[in-house]
Amino acid sequence: MEPKTAPEKFIVPIGPQHPALKEPGHFEFTVEGEVVTNATARLGFVHRGMEKGAENRTWIQDLYLMERVCGICSHVHALAFALGVEKLAGVQAPPRAQAIRELVSELERIHSHLLWLGVAAHEGGFDTLFMFSWRDRETVMDLLETISGNRVNYSANVLGGVKIDISEKQADAIRKGMDFLEERTKHYLKVVTEDETFLGRTRNIGVMTFEQADFLGAIGPTGRASGVKRDVRVDSPYTAYNDFPVKLVTHTHGDLEARFIVRIQELYESYRLVRELVDKMPTGDLTVRVPRRIPEGEVISRVEAPRGELLYFLKSNGSDTPERVKVRTPSLCNWSSVLVTAVGHNLADMPMILAGIDPCFSCNDRIVTVNRKTDSTQMDWEDLRQYGIEYYK
Amino acid sequence: MTIGSMFGDIFKSLFKKPSTEQYPFVKTEAPENLRGKLVWDPEKCTGCMLCIKDCPSNGIELLVVDKVNKKFVMRYNIDRCTFCAQCVESCRFGCIEMSDEMWELASIKKEPFEVFYGRDEDIQFLLDNAAKGETEAPC
Repeated sequence: MEPKTAPEKFIVPIGPQHPALKEPGHFEFTVEGEVVTNATARLGFVHRGMEKGAENRTWIQDLYLMERVCGICSHVHALAFALGVEKLAGVQAPPRAQAIRELVSELERIHSHLLWLGVAAHEGGFDTLFMFSWRDRETVMDLLETISGNRVNYSANVLGGVKIDISEKQADAIRKGMDFLEERTKHYLKVVTEDETFLGRTRNIGVMTFEQADFLGAIGPTGRASGVKRDVRVDSPYTAYNDFPVKLVTHTHGDLEARFIVRIQELYESYRLVRELVDKMPTGDLTVRVPRRIPEGEVISRVEAPRGELLYFLKSNGSDTPERVKVRTPSLCNWSSVLVTAVGHNLADMPMILAGIDPCFSCNDRIVTVNRKTDSTQMDWEDLRQYGIEYYK
Repeated sequence: MTIGSMFGDIFKSLFKKPSTEQYPFVKTEAPENLRGKLVWDPEKCTGCMLCIKDCPSNGIELLVVDKVNKKFVMRYNIDRCTFCAQCVESCRFGCIEMSDEMWELASIKKEPFEVFYGRDEDIQFLLDNAAKGETEAPC
């Protein structure tokens, strides 16, 4: 038998169930030796049919359904939905409610970025940083529980305002927590920029140039680490971001180290903003009345989630239930950047590159489109239901 | 560039107690705003049903004993409740509250998850009716 001359392709499949990934996603890395030459992703394993479910519930019930799209950034989902509905109804939440909404958003960003810091360090094998950053994250989780009454689904929003108020005692606890976290975060910035063993896993790994980031539509801290100056809080301020503005944090290197630096510097910005908000909290009412039947119309509502721009499209037909709710989460926009930057790196760097965009699988699984061009068929709801029944028979 | 930049943290931790809370043995106090088990006051309720309409998980039901004299009983399904406190917001008469003490709600049986709120005689009346209904129902 003659030896083969053409190089053989070897594909390493990862997922959907895999000990390294906490959420289901399937990746195929084509390798030559240790080096990845091609990468593909398959998503949609945790599609939950929430957009369709939203059409059967009232606007008020949907607020809580949408809050459960993501377990980490629950507040921004409810906020985007509430802002959209308020725009359709032609009302605006009072200034104090807007400030509290911004406060909870920023506290949530702190908790999300600290969570990511731990996860990314864990993927790189630096479990000490993982343990310590998660221990410190408890501070902000306790603060969120103190002010809202729940650690994860804060339910701070109602249509037309907020449920929760910040007392002077809670404000003091927040100030104290921010002081502690700022000190710890300074230490972590030093660790991730100076520790030689960890820099071996992050410096010049997964480099995405500005042109690539711009072309691939990278958003959030992933894009900002490559110099993309895009942040909804700055570009089109919502809630109280006009009165309490945020400074844009960018970096030029585009590697994993830059993503660490951008997220940690965003933490400083959030600490500053949270302190400013509790010091200069406007006084007044917490809610305005929103009608149960929302006037006919369409609206796009955008907010900056910890991972990037979150977009909601709402369509109302004048009744008390929405006609269409479309959610586009930031993780979905950043997948292509993983697949492009993976090429040319060692297989061992893949967990770090994947974690580098702070992926959230279950929020981005909305729909799967299979474009086969030749045999495309159109299915309505009933056909789809029948197809599902036949498929699983 | 340094090596082992977190050794300092590790050495300090050697002389500290673990950060983990020893939960079942040591219980920390719940925050005062905690959204725990729902509590309903039958005296103020007018039976407007707004709380039932707005509940995103169909966790509460209002059973009518006598509509004219405003006698109602609330059946609260704790296992369905998502503790979002929308019912507290929706109630214009302040009958509903979320308690901050009752939060250890886990159980291995189904019965503790169904709670009846209301005047004792109304609850008894409903339960008696239900019991009668069960015996009369054909097998």
